[in-house]
Amino acid sequence: MGNFGQLMDGFAVALTAHHLMIMVVGVLLGLVVGVLPGLGAPNGVSLLLPLTFTMDPISAIILLTSMYWGALFGGSTTSILFNIPGEPSSVATTFDGYPLAKQGQAARALTLAFTSAGIGALTGVLVITLLSGWVANFALRFGAAEYFAVYFMAFASFIGMSGGSPFKTLVSMMLGFAAATVGIDTISGESRLTFEFDELIGGISFLIAVIGLFGLGELLLTMEEGLKFEGVKAKLDIRVIARTVAEMPRYWATLIRSALIGCWMGITPGGPTAASFMSYALGRRFSRRGRFFGKGEPEGIVAPETADHSAGSCALLPMLALGIPGSATAAVMMGGLMIWGLSPGPMLFSTRPDFVWGLIASMYMGNLIAVVLVLATVPLFAFILRAPFTVVGPLITVVCVIGAYTVANHMFDVWLALGFGIVGYVFKKLDYPLAPFVLAMVLGDKAEDAFRQAMLTSDGSPAIFFSNGLVATMMGLGLLLLCLPAISLLLKGRAATPKDGAAPAPEGRSA
Amino acid sequence: MDISRSTMDIAAACATAAVGAVVCYGATLNGIAWGDSGPEPGYFPFYVGGLIILGSAGTIVQAWRRRAAGHDRPGADAGADSFLDGERLRTILAFFLPIVAMVAVSAWLGLYVGMALYIFYALRIAAGFRTLTAALAALAVVAVNFVIFEKLFMVPLLKGPILEAFGIY
Repeated sequence: MGNFGQLMDGFAVALTAHHLMIMVVGVLLGLVVGVLPGLGAPNGVSLLLPLTFTMDPISAIILLTSMYWGALFGGSTTSILFNIPGEPSSVATTFDGYPLAKQGQAARALTLAFTSAGIGALTGVLVITLLSGWVANFALRFGAAEYFAVYFMAFASFIGMSGGSPFKTLVSMMLGFAAATVGIDTISGESRLTFEFDELIGGISFLIAVIGLFGLGELLLTMEEGLKFEGVKAKLDIRVIARTVAEMPRYWATLIRSALIGCWMGITPGGPTAASFMSYALGRRFSRRGRFFGKGEPEGIVAPETADHSAGSCALLPMLALGIPGSATAAVMMGGLMIWGLSPGPMLFSTRPDFVWGLIASMYMGNLIAVVLVLATVPLFAFILRAPFTVVGPLITVVCVIGAYTVANHMFDVWLALGFGIVGYVFKKLDYPLAPFVLAMVLGDKAEDAFRQAMLTSDGSPAIFFSNGLVATMMGLGLLLLCLPAISLLLKGRAATPKDGAAPAPEGRSA
Repeated sequence: MDISRSTMDIAAACATAAVGAVVCYGATLNGIAWGDSGPEPGYFPFYVGGLIILGSAGTIVQAWRRRAAGHDRPGADAGADSFLDGERLRTILAFFLPIVAMVAVSAWLGLYVGMALYIFYALRIAAGFRTLTAALAALAVVAVNFVIFEKLFMVPLLKGPILEAFGIY
């Protein structure tokens, strides 16, 4: 339990008045981002990131993670009150949340969602606390080949578990790698894929891609659908909240199952969106009340919310311990760490324990603050959402344009973001997953460096990736994951009609 | 005008394949072979480009097969098969073109002027507010952003010639 002492040190870092204030601000910003459709967690964190360059890294990461918690919570509010998911990961919450709210139990539905989300998040943070040090220690033994194998596994699992077309996942991911290689090559110093455009020599920032793909792309989609918010009135009664919290223990089985699914999907890069759908589908199959799912069943809210949030927090574990983010938002945060001059991965635990454990401690606090704030601000956000989207949309657009500019003070970046916006719109409509793109963009250089270094040490023989048990196992697992779509296709071919029971596949729209 | 989903699927895949080809070509400029000091800089991007082409080809084949299967069962999912129709395209363009205009104006006259004009346009023309309301809202947006970026976070935004003429840098 060496982690415990370090965690206490972390609390000492996180529990200063300054950091608590940052958490409150971050959570509130996150709630705004989560509530407004068209502004998601990855995009929100990208927009805020340039503003943190001058901050001290601990305060900066606390601000960004708090925003992340706020966004995860905020997404559920709109799902329940308006039947419109504010975040892709809260789509599954609409299935039972909105019907329950329509039955006049909006307060109960919201409380159910937020408490189970809080429980899910705390489980996730607990897993991080217990496992991160161990994983980091384990990873200290990694050489270049092992690192490449881990990257390979992460990317293979996207292709293997995406649920959508594996070809589209592959294209999206490789486009991300291609975008990452634009600019000066870190090893040889040559400029690559710039085609004599001076603007491209500095490379394409992943922040620009996120603002375009997730921000402007989502706005275009929302605009096209002509959103009208026709919400359920929410009046929060403290007695209803208390009664609902008291009924939580009744759902222990769903809570545990969903938290486990969430942790697993968060650590392997399945992401919160996939986790919430999976948890909902499994809940419907295994719960005794499964046949009531879809009609306003409390467990139908508890299941996706718990999984969503435990996955959301667990996605930070591989980011911290291995330098491999488990979700698009974690990828953006990891890019931030690198910009602040910290290198995520096992070394971070020994070089900056104050940072790592301060962050982990802040996760406990941030989530508690988020539960309280989200309950307190429901009426406010319900009010904001009654503003027509023709007003809110342009405001978000301005924020995105400014955000793209502030990344590096280049107008060229803004044009790029517009281009990415069109790509994001088309890709989303065609069910291309966007999270692999962002992950590949953030990890592109590191994966390539690991690959080239490994190949250098072996004089160009790929046998190095199978040279010892550890690396061979990881490469083998990766290859197996790559083949999963083909295997399931074969199995499907054998079973004449595919089962209709599962929830629609979440096509990789990871938060 | 009505673009079907499978048409768009194939068109998008052709576009990504073209990007893949460009990446491959760009990689050959850096050298894709093994040099004296290990892989040349174009080695990794070349295979990335190759995989983009491979994935695009897979997508085209899938879309093609789905289309062939769709023809066998007329009427199946007819509503979900449309990617974009004329009306939706107009909505999108009415939203997107002003954004392009804002960015163009911003590049020329600075971000504050660009966002003011854009907000005014969006509220006055697109949302149908009164002229005064729209103008006040535009001013408010500029003021709020100015305080947040120039004062609170000390991140200067592009000013452009007009603001500079007034001595605001």
